[in-house]
Amino acid sequence: MTAVAEPRASAHERTTSARIVRFLNKTPIHIALGIIAIIWLAPTVGLLVTSFRPRSDIQVTGWWESFLQFRYTLANYGEVLSGQGMLQAFINTFLIAVPSTLIPLVLASMAAYAFSWLHFPFRDGLFLLVVALLMIPVQVAFIPLLKLFAPTGLLNSYGAIWLTHTAFALPFGIFLLRNFFITLPRDLIEAARIDGSSTIGIFRTIVVPLSVPAIAAYGIFQFLWVWNDLLMALVFVQNGKAWPMTKAIQNLLSQYGTEWHLLAAGAFILMAVPLLVFFSLQRYFVQGLLAGSVK
Amino acid sequence: MSRSLRLSAFALAAALMAAACGPAGTTVPPASGGPAASAPESSAGGSVAPGPAGSINVLSLWGGSEEKAFQAVLADFTAKTGVTVNYEADRQTYSTTLQSRITGGNPPDIAIIPGIGFLRRFAKDGSLKKISDLGVDTASLTANYPEGFLAAGTVDGELYAIPAKYNNKGTMWYRPDVYKDAGVTTNPSTWADYKAALDATKDKPGAMALGAKDDWNLTDWFESIYIRQAGVDAYDKLFSADGDWTDPTVQKDVDTMLEVINDNYVVGGIDAAVGRAWTDAIAQVFKPAPEAGTFYEGGFVGGIATGQTNTALVIGETIDWYPFPKINNTDEVTTFGGDVVGALTDSDGAKAFLQYVITPEANKVWASTGAIVSPNKGVDTSAYPNDLVKREAESLTSASAIRYDGSDLLPAGIAGEGLGALLQRAIRGDTIDWADFQTRVKAAWDAE
Amino acid sequence: MQADPPGGMERVAISSIGVAKPPAPPKQIGRRYDRTTLLFLGPPAILMAIFLIYPTIYTIALSFNRGRRGEFNEWVGFDHYINLLTGDKSFLDLSHFPPEGAIWNNVLWAVFYTTLVIFLGLVVAVLASRVRYESIIKAVVFLPMAIAATALAIIWNFVYAPDSNIGLLNAILSPVTDRGISFLGNPSLVNAALIAAGVWGSVGFATVILSAALKSIPSEILEAARVDGATERQVFFGIIIPMVSLPISVLAVTLLVNVVKLFDLIYVLTGGGPGVKSRVIAFTMYNDSIPGGQFGRGAAVAVIMLVLLIPIMAYNIRRFRSSRVT
Repeated sequence: MTAVAEPRASAHERTTSARIVRFLNKTPIHIALGIIAIIWLAPTVGLLVTSFRPRSDIQVTGWWESFLQFRYTLANYGEVLSGQGMLQAFINTFLIAVPSTLIPLVLASMAAYAFSWLHFPFRDGLFLLVVALLMIPVQVAFIPLLKLFAPTGLLNSYGAIWLTHTAFALPFGIFLLRNFFITLPRDLIEAARIDGSSTIGIFRTIVVPLSVPAIAAYGIFQFLWVWNDLLMALVFVQNGKAWPMTKAIQNLLSQYGTEWHLLAAGAFILMAVPLLVFFSLQRYFVQGLLAGSVK
Repeated sequence: MSRSLRLSAFALAAALMAAACGPAGTTVPPASGGPAASAPESSAGGSVAPGPAGSINVLSLWGGSEEKAFQAVLADFTAKTGVTVNYEADRQTYSTTLQSRITGGNPPDIAIIPGIGFLRRFAKDGSLKKISDLGVDTASLTANYPEGFLAAGTVDGELYAIPAKYNNKGTMWYRPDVYKDAGVTTNPSTWADYKAALDATKDKPGAMALGAKDDWNLTDWFESIYIRQAGVDAYDKLFSADGDWTDPTVQKDVDTMLEVINDNYVVGGIDAAVGRAWTDAIAQVFKPAPEAGTFYEGGFVGGIATGQTNTALVIGETIDWYPFPKINNTDEVTTFGGDVVGALTDSDGAKAFLQYVITPEANKVWASTGAIVSPNKGVDTSAYPNDLVKREAESLTSASAIRYDGSDLLPAGIAGEGLGALLQRAIRGDTIDWADFQTRVKAAWDAE
Repeated sequence: MQADPPGGMERVAISSIGVAKPPAPPKQIGRRYDRTTLLFLGPPAILMAIFLIYPTIYTIALSFNRGRRGEFNEWVGFDHYINLLTGDKSFLDLSHFPPEGAIWNNVLWAVFYTTLVIFLGLVVAVLASRVRYESIIKAVVFLPMAIAATALAIIWNFVYAPDSNIGLLNAILSPVTDRGISFLGNPSLVNAALIAAGVWGSVGFATVILSAALKSIPSEILEAARVDGATERQVFFGIIIPMVSLPISVLAVTLLVNVVKLFDLIYVLTGGGPGVKSRVIAFTMYNDSIPGGQFGRGAAVAVIMLVLLIPIMAYNIRRFRSSRVT
């Protein structure tokens, strides 16, 4: 640890005592950040701790008292996964989320490419329409789409939810990716064109490889969005065997009001994948958030 | 862009592709292949092609111990008829699921319907099949069910659904050990006795538990008081399209309710009670170290308390019930809640199921689980496995008048605050504008 | 608005930020119009037409109809709108002050949620930039963004539960209160409690955006001000705030869209209760149409949502246009 890590540190601070003084000067900041960290961590930690506590303990004391008792168990997870069908729901969530992420990823990239580098009539007007479509709340889709899907049988499979998630993800994807694509170096693309590359070739060999951060960010957002979705699944997954985890936990919530041990374990299983995605891909997440952002 | 970035992106893409190809290729079946896939192509009416012979979808709101009991019935059905059942339980979002599936032309073959309001809506729009069109043996129906019960499944003079199970909603649950310690030796039979018992158990360890976040607990209170205080005829009128919510008996009911549902008796206070789930209130009474001696709700509390809350409970020592105290009534009268079963398709499986579910044999299987009281006359009280539910069944047959849960009779589409929401406010001390409620209830009746 | 605060929020947020960026008009490649364009644009265009545009038109039409079974059977003109805005106190109750109802709750959210998220986001971003463990703090605050509302609801149940053996907050407060406070059961507390949970879930998002904006402020300016004897407070309000006003306005727009679409958190935490006290517009829309079966009325609520979103949409489009000119 040297003061180098602190960009504003000047030469005279490079002594131990100066560092201590500097640290002490920042004491209020450390305290404030400590409080913030506790507020933001405590509720989630509480859930995690509760999920490992035996049911009899949860009925009597709060999770914060369990550190003294130190009685933990994996039984809650076992019961939720096997007894409550959470394992099947976990698989179902994947089956819903993966296609609902990949399909819009492909389609939005292609459309965004057209909006940024191809020329066609009413291009700007159509793009504004896409901007406008961003605002449409999913609720407007329920009745018309149920009616639309009725004769197709798609409601009994994953087809309906894949299509609906895809459509509602497109405006955002097109918007995000188009704003990234137009920042790509024009020279590169023109050079490729002069070399005789086709439109599809340029898209495949230049635009997509150069835009991996933005595409990845969009993919992560969409995946988390679908993973965490309850409302669309409620309406568009009409087969009890295909219900995702959010729905399974919702059922747990009502029929076991007192069974906090199952709820906590179930909720944590639901959270595990998004947290994993978040921590392993945090870079893309933040990069994507800032892609084409204020600089 | 760094190389590592690109590499990890590639890895991510590969992983996603693998995830997509792996399961997706093989697992679309759970959606389309399993026994579930009897979805008829077209929804309402007309020539619905029956699904793959020998399988039906059943949607109900019974999960947990209730589901386990019902699964015993389904297993018996499959054994007797060869029709397999794909069972879906959905309590929390039942109405959304059922409505979505009906709107989407993908209804379950059989639906267990929890409220008459629902029954009327789906009967009127043609989603529910008439029982008479399903080839059900009507002679055995009238022979096996008391007449009042079939009325619960009747809309505009036409039978659409069959009563499946019912519960007495006049059961006052209590801890005999708490009562004993507080010196309450005989179970209260009058309202005054009841208040005396609450006074006695107050702080020893507490009088009454209440979980009013689930506001139907409050409507049950309202109904139990109303049928005993205003009488059966007034009850019938109030919960019909001719009901008048500005009638003084309505506010009088709330006033009576407030005599016991108040900060003085409710453990933790009213404020906390409105934020508490009803199952948490059950736990307050029936967990190993009780916080209160009394909890009012229907007969199903017994199954939840002994099966889920605390398996160590002993009937007669740590759990029991007595009839809701008499108010103005001299005879024993009570409300009951129940679910009815109806068919949303006329597939062969659906027909077979309805035919099966009205037989005494089916009802005996179900009754033997202890989870329900069967409305079927062919079920003798000896079919019930324990004293709690046996007495519940007897209380219903011996009562001079029983009435269906009133709030379930109200139309489903009341705009704004429903009865439960109003009562949540009432117990917090708000004054209720019954005239406003009357306007909205009337509008909902008229819109049906 | 749907299953998680993160999704809905970031989706729109990023795009708003994208809008703020002046894109250089790119030179086109390929012929003016060809089959390839159709290949690239066709499938998404068809999907959006069927799944976004058609339902919107259908819903607008349905809002003027009785809408039994979700079909067109009896035209009722503006009946649904009139009834919603004047006859349903759970939707809008102007009979006393402060008003009540779902629309008013959305106003509360718009004011308190938006300002608190931006303010706390800024505070965390500024404080974190002064310490070495900045990235850890940001990750901690950002964490809730990845969590589904369903899980969020369970997490907050453990905080708000009225009984102090479950509810963290009541356990902390138990020395000073004689009985449990019911944060989600008390009509005067429920909206504050929900907004707090919403803010908790969204501050991380604001922190990430604003932190990046702060980094773009030249450090010499801040140093100079400090050397000149400016207090931290003066630096914060006099320099930092004005210099991040653009990203703040973008954030505000995003959060407002979020508020109009807000559904999931309320659905899972309180179900609109106690009574109807915590309902918001999107909740009423859902509640009236799907479980309630009143599809025409639900459609009218959806149209009201759309109308509220139009100014925000127009603002975004104008911003996009003006930034393109520069």
